[in-house]
Amino acid sequence: MTNPILDVRDVSKTFTLHNIDGRTVSALNAVSFSLSPGEHVALAGSSGAGKSTLLRVLYRTYTAASGSINLTLASGNVVDLTKLTDREVVALRGRELGYVSQFLRAQPRRAVIDLVTRAGVSRGMNRSEARDAAALSLKRLDIAESLWDMHTAVLSGGEKQRVNIAAGLISPPRILLLDEPVSALDPENRERAIDLIADLSLQGTAVLAVFHDLDAISRLATRVIRMKRGSIVEDGPTADVFPHLQPAEVQI
Amino acid sequence: MNTVPTQEAGMNTLPTQEAGMNTVPTIHVADPVIQVRNLGKVYGSFTRDSILQTGPEFGTARDPRTGSIIAAWNVNFDVAAGEALGIVGESGSGKSTVLRCIAGDQPATTGDVRLACHDNGEFNILHLDPATRRRLRIDKLSVVYQDAAEGLALGVTAGGNIADPLTAAGWRHFGRIRERAADLLRRTEVPLDRMDDIVRTFSGGMRQRVQIARALANNPPILLLDEPTTGLDASVAAGVLDLIRRLLEELDLAVVVVSHDFAVIEMLTQRCIVMQHGRVVEDALTDQLLEDPQHPYSQKLVAAARA
Amino acid sequence: MTNESAIDMSSLAEITGDAPTTPFALLDEESKREIRRALLQAVAIPGYQVPFGSREMPVARGWGSGGLQISLAIVGNDDTVKVIDQGDDEGVNAVNLRRLIASSTGINETTEVNEATIVQSRHRIPEDPMGADQILVLQVPVPEPLRGVERDMKELARMHAEADYSKMWVSLYEDKVRNGVITQTTGYPCLVAGRYVTATTPIPRWDIPRLHQADFLTLFGAGREKRVYAIPPHTDVEPLTFDDVEFEVESADGATCKLCGSSDSFLVESPGTTPSWTCSDTAWCRRRRQA
Repeated sequence: MTNPILDVRDVSKTFTLHNIDGRTVSALNAVSFSLSPGEHVALAGSSGAGKSTLLRVLYRTYTAASGSINLTLASGNVVDLTKLTDREVVALRGRELGYVSQFLRAQPRRAVIDLVTRAGVSRGMNRSEARDAAALSLKRLDIAESLWDMHTAVLSGGEKQRVNIAAGLISPPRILLLDEPVSALDPENRERAIDLIADLSLQGTAVLAVFHDLDAISRLATRVIRMKRGSIVEDGPTADVFPHLQPAEVQI
Repeated sequence: MNTVPTQEAGMNTLPTQEAGMNTVPTIHVADPVIQVRNLGKVYGSFTRDSILQTGPEFGTARDPRTGSIIAAWNVNFDVAAGEALGIVGESGSGKSTVLRCIAGDQPATTGDVRLACHDNGEFNILHLDPATRRRLRIDKLSVVYQDAAEGLALGVTAGGNIADPLTAAGWRHFGRIRERAADLLRRTEVPLDRMDDIVRTFSGGMRQRVQIARALANNPPILLLDEPTTGLDASVAAGVLDLIRRLLEELDLAVVVVSHDFAVIEMLTQRCIVMQHGRVVEDALTDQLLEDPQHPYSQKLVAAARA
Repeated sequence: MTNESAIDMSSLAEITGDAPTTPFALLDEESKREIRRALLQAVAIPGYQVPFGSREMPVARGWGSGGLQISLAIVGNDDTVKVIDQGDDEGVNAVNLRRLIASSTGINETTEVNEATIVQSRHRIPEDPMGADQILVLQVPVPEPLRGVERDMKELARMHAEADYSKMWVSLYEDKVRNGVITQTTGYPCLVAGRYVTATTPIPRWDIPRLHQADFLTLFGAGREKRVYAIPPHTDVEPLTFDDVEFEVESADGATCKLCGSSDSFLVESPGTTPSWTCSDTAWCRRRRQA
């Protein structure tokens, strides 16, 4: 077994709602697992199990309450994500760590090609490389060239999602977190997106993904982690975990 | 933890004053272009107790005994080229005070501010004489104000407002000044046929664009934005915001944005600090602040913005 | 002081037996010394406006009282004075000032530049060359070159102190944009000795190049504004202009003086039904006719 690129130990997340009587909400409970380069791990679990919370904690959009998240960098050095300064996290988010959410969070008044090119630049490509790569990604996702200079706001939900994937997958980082990337896509475009995501593993990118359909999991994931009420209840090869999955654990 | 804390040989880095900053040299973080340490601004005389008995825990920035206002205290941050830091808070939180102390519009009471572009950050610019301090504004550090009247001469043409920093930097060729002004106005999307109109005849959004053009005239490495879109109509504000975002991406500027508007902060910045009653109550990644604010005040602000 | 009290004074002098003494050159020695000190400072810092305690003079402020105080402060027994107003020795103001200087000192007066050691002037530098042994005294209404771009005195002082003249440049830029040319005619702002922007008010552009690296000392006096300043001999005087916008002096296309036929002197339009031109420097014009 190769050395893990990501090693998560006893990570918990609690939200303290100061303005609602200081109430606390526990969202993750001592979560531990690791991820190797090129591995594709699917997170499964019913709504509220903590899948998206986990992805966000790993991206540091959420701050972990306790535990460690050790990342092996391209340099071979290991850092604990929970202890990095904000500036270091910003630096890390370029080439080492990426996140594709279900929703296009991009500014609405930005041209499609710009958005994807910008993602490439943020991952260390120069502008012309990034533009070429962006064009390639958009073509692979069948975004008509006539849309490239349009603002993302005018796109349909499915188009937005594909642009989002194109941006997220350009010059892929070493670890990629995907939050329901193929939801909202019609069958044809879903196939294109799944092809692209499958390529990530061949390029050595470690993927941790939340999907809402069994088909995507069975085709992409080498391993499945089942979560329930903020804890991991099962972690094993897809073939072993797959039979245990309940319909509610993969549907919205 | 396997972190290897080796001391990287700092070449062009600003001298770090505070020990105990969590530096993990295995991740390359760009050297700061602007470094702010322990910045403080007090209106009136103050004692140790004035500091100890004001701030968020006391719900006020005003020292009840002396009446002094601790407008900002112990503010720290670094910003590198290509980075934008937001300063968030309600009016009166001290965010604009911080920006004005850095810009030199107001004298700071205490603190240390260093710019990599000024003598390699060897000197605290807060100690510079006023003339040297003002000269920084020509080509090192520019400010865009909420009120265009602060950043522009309203009775002067758009071109003339840009000619001001250019001539201050030694430009003496009329034709080249015209060309540069036209180029800047083009980039800030001001119609060129308005170049020779006095700015007072411009709309609010157009004034902000001229202000931005002027601020960028001498390619300063540092840009400070004080509520740059506040007070504009929503659609106009959106256009100005888009422009700023694009310029930040194109030019490798170190930017500080003061705003009470989370839409502005979210669009422009990667990191931010939250101020309340003159103190920093939280510093965070911008997405983290919006999704998982820690401090009660931050949570209140975010909840209000989301509502 | 009214005439009545002057009479009282003289009667008092008669009673006490003391003859009334008007000091040499009108001003008492203390006043002259103070003005000279200001002038020395002005010469030492070319183009810098030095404040001085402007006195009440027998001419109204705005009628050459600043220039007069300088002339009276520097004049000695061996001097010869020439005073012109708009280039004319016979202007009422010029005659009054010249008489005042001559009568209060007993020195000679002249209309010829080469005979004068002190030339006091409003609006012109004589066409005839002046030499190292001559002093030009200019009467100045507005000594502050930045007055048009900034009103605040404190800010003006700061701008000069920091050589922060971008506002002046912006006004030249705006002038050129609006009018196609820089329209400022008299009192064109100049950079003196590469340091201070200085008002050359109110001489025409024609005379500006003659201040640059001049052999003579020029002293400027503004009585109302209580300022003196100086351009020492052999000092750089550069009119503020853009590199690609040439500084042009006035020219009346092909015009010649109707009296002497001159085409290479500063001409002024003479009143009349048909446009005609005459030399502004009357002494120069007269000599040219006689030659």
